[in-house]
Amino acid sequence: MGRAALTLGVVLHLVEIGTNCVQARSPVSSTGDAMSFVAFIAALGYLVASYRYRLATGGAFVVPGVLALVVLARVAPAEPGTLSLGSPLGRLHVFLSTVGVAVFGLAAALAIVYLIEDKRLRQRRFSGTLGKEAPLATLDRLALRCVSVGFPIFTLAILTGALWVARLGAIAGHMSLRPEYLFALATWIAFGVLLLARIGAGWRGRRAAWLTLGGFASALLVLAGYFVRLVT
Amino acid sequence: MDPRATSGLNLLVFGVSHRTAPVALRERLAVQNDGHPALLARLASSGPVTEAMLLSTCNRVEFYVATSDVEAAEGLLAAALAENASTSAEELEPHLYSRREAEALHHLFRVASSLDSLVLGEPQILGQVKAAYELALSAKTAGPVLGACLPGTFRLARRVRRETGIARHPVSVSSVAVDFARQIFESFENRQVLIVGAGKMADLAARALAGQGARLVVTNRTQARAEELASRIGAKVHPFDDLAGALEQADIVISSTGAQRPILSAELLRKVQKRRRGRLFCVLDIAVPRDVEPGVDIEGLYVADIDDLQKIASHHAQDRREEADRAEVMVEQELGRFLQSFQGRRIGPTITALRARVLGLAKAEAERTLAATPGLGERERKVLFDLAESIAKKILHAPQVALKKGGADPLEGAALVAAAERLFELSPVGSMAEGDEELGRQAGEGGPSEERGRTKAR
Repeated sequence: MGRAALTLGVVLHLVEIGTNCVQARSPVSSTGDAMSFVAFIAALGYLVASYRYRLATGGAFVVPGVLALVVLARVAPAEPGTLSLGSPLGRLHVFLSTVGVAVFGLAAALAIVYLIEDKRLRQRRFSGTLGKEAPLATLDRLALRCVSVGFPIFTLAILTGALWVARLGAIAGHMSLRPEYLFALATWIAFGVLLLARIGAGWRGRRAAWLTLGGFASALLVLAGYFVRLVT
Repeated sequence: MDPRATSGLNLLVFGVSHRTAPVALRERLAVQNDGHPALLARLASSGPVTEAMLLSTCNRVEFYVATSDVEAAEGLLAAALAENASTSAEELEPHLYSRREAEALHHLFRVASSLDSLVLGEPQILGQVKAAYELALSAKTAGPVLGACLPGTFRLARRVRRETGIARHPVSVSSVAVDFARQIFESFENRQVLIVGAGKMADLAARALAGQGARLVVTNRTQARAEELASRIGAKVHPFDDLAGALEQADIVISSTGAQRPILSAELLRKVQKRRRGRLFCVLDIAVPRDVEPGVDIEGLYVADIDDLQKIASHHAQDRREEADRAEVMVEQELGRFLQSFQGRRIGPTITALRARVLGLAKAEAERTLAATPGLGERERKVLFDLAESIAKKILHAPQVALKKGGADPLEGAALVAAAERLFELSPVGSMAEGDEELGRQAGEGGPSEERGRTKAR
């Protein structure tokens, strides 16, 4: 029932994005659009996964998050700086970081579910029946998959971002360092360390989940930075 | 009269179950499969019983028979049961129960849907009812009555299983243990299961896991018992001295030793989990007293003890009881539907029989009168016949209308058909013997229905 509603929402969203694309407007041509696009990717990813795995609790985190983003995207004022996004490099950067953040968002949702399930099983609080949620190993594996898909995308986003900032700096004659750049770097480092530790040292479970959450929080700070700048 | 007892199905259930008889008695009553056909054939050729099926499981021994003489049939079945258990009818009597007609069908529906089982929703019973029916078919003791009831029973039971949660979550400790492990591991393919101790419960859970691709390893303080268990369940043996090594290689541990003090101490588990580099680790402690030191909290280690598992099992049992209420509603609805279509088939022949009876009487009386009063002309004879016929038709009018209307309500229809049969001394309408080809085919055997079809109305 809830899933059917979410499916409908995602399809409608896709129609909107598709319409924009037909009108030669990139899905990420403004901050609002970008946030809405993040929501779309996250909802789509969750939806696809939920048909294969039991992810009831996951939905409880993904869906409100998606809703909040969509609402924020609607209230975001139209971009004064849209012009600067006009360059292909800028558009590519925004697109890549949007997709990257959305995929990290899914990893974070899985991490939250993992932590809840882990706690429930360790403390043996078995309210109701077992079997409502996917196994821990599955949650862990899916989260790893999200991070390993998201990381290369986000890496490219950082690179294009750096190039773009450098080019804008060259045009303006000076470089402005914003706190967002720092958070973006922190995000990249967090997920990089996570991937290395998982593959290299067999990190998994709770520690990996917390690190995922840390990385995603930092990514959210980047978005928040843009949003605050936009509103003020 | 209870309208449900007069559906005209001619079905009777007779026997004992876990609700009425202790296991000691049920054991003695249980009939071996190879004994079925002879017993069934003997019963079905006995006169009062025209069809017979025997459902004999560890929780019930029940006859499902077709009969038009319930008292005689009950006596016969009680004697057969007593003889089989080498006991007296008096000893058996307080444990026996009997359900007739629609009540009998209701009982059959509930039994096959596992609503009457000792473990609510247990899956075996449907297969057992099917096997019982197949035995009756092959013994040629299933006819139109059983043939009308059983296929619908199987459909209903499958629907109950599918559409309610009556069998969704396991209620046995060993299945719950497997469920717990499934909350942690994605699959058991190539997972290593270590069985510590040689308890009976560990056996069941381990077999279930092995069935899903897990490798089994046994370790036990007494090497001989470890080897015995290992050969029984197809496991390897690991020396008990190297418990830590065995734990390190395992993904799932099922522990059921008789040790008085926890053999899986927090220290041991912490050391092992460190060497396992935090891989997910599931310990099912089904020993009493417990084998895992209480209060262990280690990253990646998940422990469930017997209390936890029993708590989940009782949650699931509660769940099943709630779902059983929904299943009971489905059973009631199906019973109503069945009786309605059954009565629909029965009312027509009853009306025909009723008309034939009354019109025949009128005609016979007119003929008798004519024979006694000679010298009447053709005209007078015709007047007399017409009079007799029109009186008969007036008498028939009200019962006919009532019967037709009664078709709307299965129970009322049944009562009216039964009343008509009694008041007008009609022989019972064997609706299923009477051209009910569809149901005859479902019974699978054309033969018995011909031989055993009850007296037809005309």
